[in-house]
Amino acid sequence: MATVNARPLVSVHQDGTVTASSISLPAIFRAPIRPDVVNFVHDQIAKNTRQPYAVSKDAGHQTSAESWGTGRAVARIPRVRGGGTHRSGQGAFGNMCRGGRMFAPTRVWRRWHRKVNVTQRRYAMVSAIAASGSPALVMSKGHIIHETPEVPLVVGDKVEEAKTTKEAMMFLRKCRAWSDVLKVYKSKRFRAGVGKMRNRRRIQRTGPLIVYNKDQGLVKAFRGIPGADTIQVKRLNLLKLAPGGHVGRFVIWTESAFRKLDKLYGTWRKPSKLKTNYNLPTPKMTNTDLMRIIQSDEIQNVIKRPNRKVLRRTPKLNPLTNKKYMGKLNPYANVERKLAQYNQKIKIERKEILRKKKAGELPAKISKEEKARTAIPPKKKEPREKVEPKKIKYIGKKMKRTKKPKSGDAAAKKGKLQKAPLKPGKPKPGASKGVKTGKTKPLPSKDSKTGKAKPLSSKDGKTGKAKPLPSKDGKTKKTKPLPSKDGKTKKTKPLPTKDGKTGGTKPVPSKAKQVGKPKGETAKAATAKPATSKPATPKSATSKPSQPKSTPKKDAKPTPKQDKPKQAASKK
Amino acid sequence: MEPSSVVKKVRLPSVPATLLKRRKKAIDQKRKDLKKFAKVLKSRGVKRTETFRKAEKYIKEYRLKENQEIRLKRNAKKKGAVVVPGEARLAFVIRIRGINQVHPKVRKVLQLFRLLQINNGVFVKLNKATIMMLRIAEPYISWGYPNLKTVKDLVYKRGFAKVNKQRVPLVSNTLISKYLGRRGIICMEDIVHEIFTVGRHFTSVTNFLWPFQLNNPTGGWRKKTNHFVEGGDFGNRENQINCLLRRMI
Repeated sequence: MATVNARPLVSVHQDGTVTASSISLPAIFRAPIRPDVVNFVHDQIAKNTRQPYAVSKDAGHQTSAESWGTGRAVARIPRVRGGGTHRSGQGAFGNMCRGGRMFAPTRVWRRWHRKVNVTQRRYAMVSAIAASGSPALVMSKGHIIHETPEVPLVVGDKVEEAKTTKEAMMFLRKCRAWSDVLKVYKSKRFRAGVGKMRNRRRIQRTGPLIVYNKDQGLVKAFRGIPGADTIQVKRLNLLKLAPGGHVGRFVIWTESAFRKLDKLYGTWRKPSKLKTNYNLPTPKMTNTDLMRIIQSDEIQNVIKRPNRKVLRRTPKLNPLTNKKYMGKLNPYANVERKLAQYNQKIKIERKEILRKKKAGELPAKISKEEKARTAIPPKKKEPREKVEPKKIKYIGKKMKRTKKPKSGDAAAKKGKLQKAPLKPGKPKPGASKGVKTGKTKPLPSKDSKTGKAKPLSSKDGKTGKAKPLPSKDGKTKKTKPLPSKDGKTKKTKPLPTKDGKTGGTKPVPSKAKQVGKPKGETAKAATAKPATSKPATPKSATSKPSQPKSTPKKDAKPTPKQDKPKQAASKK
Repeated sequence: MEPSSVVKKVRLPSVPATLLKRRKKAIDQKRKDLKKFAKVLKSRGVKRTETFRKAEKYIKEYRLKENQEIRLKRNAKKKGAVVVPGEARLAFVIRIRGINQVHPKVRKVLQLFRLLQINNGVFVKLNKATIMMLRIAEPYISWGYPNLKTVKDLVYKRGFAKVNKQRVPLVSNTLISKYLGRRGIICMEDIVHEIFTVGRHFTSVTNFLWPFQLNNPTGGWRKKTNHFVEGGDFGNRENQINCLLRRMI
């Protein structure tokens, strides 16, 4: 419904041309079109012209029949008395009996007529008129208005004075409404069904409806035109305006009739003058173009995106057998597996060597060349992920106590450790530093790999131990962000490696380093290291976490770093 | 007079404005999405390294612990002393028997342990209270001290999470980090670690896990109606639980 202000002008047609006069569209044509209301009201009102029908009131009871009762091998239905005729003894009264009364005989006092509230009736009327102003609805009702100049079609008052049907016909021709009438002609046919023999033999379509103000012969003139109806504007009839309960009849208004509409039904601003206490119905939506509303900027800018994501069930695969899935859940699993395989290989080889030695197949001392040959090649460095580990924002507050690992150091140490070749037959007394893999490994201080092994303990002051169980070390600050790959931890001084680099990522050890490094060098390195990292040591030494029953353990514990140089020196 | 110059007619766009608006919006949205996605990818990468490091760390830790124990024993032996190992802190409890004709006390205890079905298993922190509870329900449960492999296998193969009261498989670490992230547990290895070392968030983690639904053991039970020490199955079987679980997982 457009605003009442924006009412267009309807021009008056006369003799096939547009006259100078034009009328602003009455407000009624902007009223809400409620086909449901129209249908309901039409149903009710159509009942009001009914004539009662009923069966005769004593049909089927004009006998004095009585039931014979039981015991006579007949049904207990009342039977006609007397004798001497076929009728005697026959069943009577029941609806199942021949000649009996019907079930529920129709009565005249059936409620034939229906009351409809006045406002409702008017609402339907208004809707029907409004619908007649919509060419789409009129066409969908089936009227042929392709050629009519305008809808609603308003015509000069001259037609009210038409006297002959010929004039009426000419008028319709000029209005270009004749094709609608032609359609009526074409639709003349016999009714299907029994109505044929009930005085309703012929049927035809409805044609145009002429609404006039003053009848000066118009009614009689249009009487002869099939399908055309005429109505006075003050006495509009819903049964004519919405025949069959469906809106959208083709209406031709005379000018004076058209002008009367505002007075009859009012505009929203002004109530009706000719009806008491009535104004046009207010619609529920001012703008009924829902699509346009939805596509408007105001709404489009505020609505959320359509969620086209289809959440499907992800199947659970067994990570213990499915490597890919294991990798998803635990990215370290691959490394673990490869290490395990590697270590197994080493183990086998060592066993073999031991066995050979025992059997005397191998010399006790192995030459350098032999060593070089049998040395296990250094493992290729694991491809590291390049992303810099940063502080991860967890949902909710992260508990302060949890520790974060030191990225580079741990990984490097691990890598380094695995590369250390076992020198068989070198028991290390008191070498229970308890680090590395489950196998017996040499003391880091004696190992040619000391340089690399040392960084192992860089976190906690260079004891042979790896990082102790969390949350007991006073040194570690838990809430610090993960260190960068450069190993620039804020906590401890990064140890200078042999390469002179600081930091966690230790380079791949060259083969030269691995094999046959003189102890002295390593010892020097050993000495060098503690010197640089001494400031860190005392703290860690004192704050060593003590296991619950580890008093014996403490004795066995390797003395803090300070002892190492002594050891190294002694070994020299 | 006709103008000599030809006026160029400007061709109006034949595409309706609403369509153009929609297209523009789509393009902008796509740009935003790409940016968002880049961030997501980055955070994923970060998380992945984090889990990697954690796993690494834990392996070290486990090994360290193991070796420490070994060392203790060895040292003690050397000195002629005796090491009394600590009492187990972690137990895995399996419900052995069905739901019919259960004593109310036992029923309640089993309910509290979330053992509502036969062959359901849960991790339990051992303390005076829980041990007493286990004693009450003894004929219905078989329990013991799981080792690391058992814990891992359970969590990886049979691990399901309780999410919105639903039993959801542990298919990715995002699920874990979403619900346990604020306790610092973001991946499977974290869960395993928390359980195995009975950490501070043991209860949260075990509660996050749906009670394990296990198979019947291949090779069968010995005798469910007797205690383990009597040649049966129920009760505390300490480390032997690992053998049993190997056959049940």
